[in-house]
Amino acid sequence: MNARTAILGVVLVVVAVVLLIVLSGGEDDGGETTTGGNAVANEAGKASKEGGDQGKPEAAKPEVTAIVVDENGEPVGGPAEITVDKGDEVRFEVKSAVAEEIHVHGYDLTKDVPAGGTVSFTFPAEIEGIFEAELEGRAEQILELRVEP
Amino acid sequence: MSFLPLAHALSAREDLPVPAWLFAWGASIVLIVSFFALAAGWRSPRFEQWRERPLGAGVSRALLGLPAQIVCGLVGVFLLGVAVYAGLEGTEAPDRNFALTFLFVTCWLGFPFFSAILGDLFRPFNPWRAVGRAAGAGFQAIAGQRPAHLAYPERLGRWPAAIGLLAVVWLEVVYGAGGIGIDPHTTAVAALAYSVYTLAMMAAFGVEEWCERGEVFSVYFGMFGRLGIFGTRDGRLERRRPFSAATTWATIPGSAAVVLASIATTSFDGASEGAFQDPMESLYEWFVDQGASLTTSLRLTETIFMLLCFAGVALVYALGVRGMRSVPGAPSLAKLRTGFAHTLIPIALAYLVAHYFSLFVFQEQAQFGYLLSDPLGTGTTDLFGTASSGIDFKVLSANAIWYVQVASLVVGHVIGLMLAHDRALVYWPDYRRATASQYWMLAVMVAFTCFGLYLLSQANG
Repeated sequence: MNARTAILGVVLVVVAVVLLIVLSGGEDDGGETTTGGNAVANEAGKASKEGGDQGKPEAAKPEVTAIVVDENGEPVGGPAEITVDKGDEVRFEVKSAVAEEIHVHGYDLTKDVPAGGTVSFTFPAEIEGIFEAELEGRAEQILELRVEP
Repeated sequence: MSFLPLAHALSAREDLPVPAWLFAWGASIVLIVSFFALAAGWRSPRFEQWRERPLGAGVSRALLGLPAQIVCGLVGVFLLGVAVYAGLEGTEAPDRNFALTFLFVTCWLGFPFFSAILGDLFRPFNPWRAVGRAAGAGFQAIAGQRPAHLAYPERLGRWPAAIGLLAVVWLEVVYGAGGIGIDPHTTAVAALAYSVYTLAMMAAFGVEEWCERGEVFSVYFGMFGRLGIFGTRDGRLERRRPFSAATTWATIPGSAAVVLASIATTSFDGASEGAFQDPMESLYEWFVDQGASLTTSLRLTETIFMLLCFAGVALVYALGVRGMRSVPGAPSLAKLRTGFAHTLIPIALAYLVAHYFSLFVFQEQAQFGYLLSDPLGTGTTDLFGTASSGIDFKVLSANAIWYVQVASLVVGHVIGLMLAHDRALVYWPDYRRATASQYWMLAVMVAFTCFGLYLLSQANG
């Protein structure tokens, strides 16, 4: 009947849309790791990876992400991105041309950095979700931290 | 530059996007459930007749009597006053000021969530209704007669509430889009302006009339309250079949616009950081290239996308209604449009739960912790000894949040389908025609639910 063809059409459209979305979602996820905001930081992280090797398995090896804040109080190359699994160690350091307070939201960690100085953060990723680290005074985001289960 | 949802200003964390596998499962379940619903549909309406059971007279008197009304009204006025005062006099840090969390999380999300279970909880605490009724009683005592009102233009229906709903979310999400969201001072000023407007409208058209049609919060929270199990009739508290009171909600013109605006604004808030991010950035850059200031460009972009969301959601519904019209024996388009509006209330609620459930759980810890003891955020007040408390973000794991999100959309979808099937049986007494008409509503609901799942999977993507 007429309604039967209608429902068949609806089913086909919905299945097509769902497939499209799932597939494109998969592509998005794949693309995200390479088009992340701060390729420089990732490179820097890999470069310094040989450093604190504690014989942990490859995946859990913490990388130090380096964030550089210029004299305008902005992160060079945009906010860095760190994605870790819950329980991993989060490690990053901020080299800042301006004196600021650095605040990791959610984990609520703060450290002061003097002009021209460097501070480093090392903490276990215990809370799942997406968090940002900011230059508190300027409300400038320098890092997006994703902690996945 | 980025487009930030409401949650950003308040909460120190955001939800991870729903993973692809869970999205696929959710969408599949929706489809399977939908076809099962079509096959197994009942043949005579189940929700349409009010089958309510009055509660005992003592309970009704205690909860609904004049003393209780006065106490609840005073509580409402007092809390609104605290929020406005905190907004005007307190810190400008959004997360440390009572005003933002109280108005935009505790009330704006709390009333829909709890009213959907228990029935309309806002009505007794509505501060404007309380003031309006007190003013009316005062007038009657002095003048010796009831205040005269203008006749409310019937055609306007609930359109003032629908537009007001868009305006509230616009203020909340778009106006404050400078990077940190809306600030407490602006919120307080807006609340005062809204109070003046509401009291003027109540004076013009009558308190209850305006609450039923024009007062944004009464209409919006009351809509969700129709799903709940308690209601009142003739001053008696009654227990009713869940969702059954929704069937009589959309009798007023413009009701469909209210529920569509709810779905659209939640979609917009969720999509602005995920699914719509790229096109929004393109439009934003185009405005900047045209010489508009950064803030103006941001607001224009967000306003346009919010209206596009509304138009898109309304279009999907309109197509569904047109489709149903093609089934022999269908009532008029206008009747179909209002007749099926209530079937979208569960979907609107599901969207709210999916997008804001985690924010609500986390932010209420602040509400009943440090914000309660230090409403102005001065750092020197500690009324109840909880000023130094924090938010424990570990109470919900990412997995728990994902399951709640997907489950709420699936459950909302099922309830929506049930209500739609029920209404179709009223309009088409012939069971086969009723079912045929429901292919169209099914398509509408599958579209909304899958879009909702898609938004969750794309958040921050």
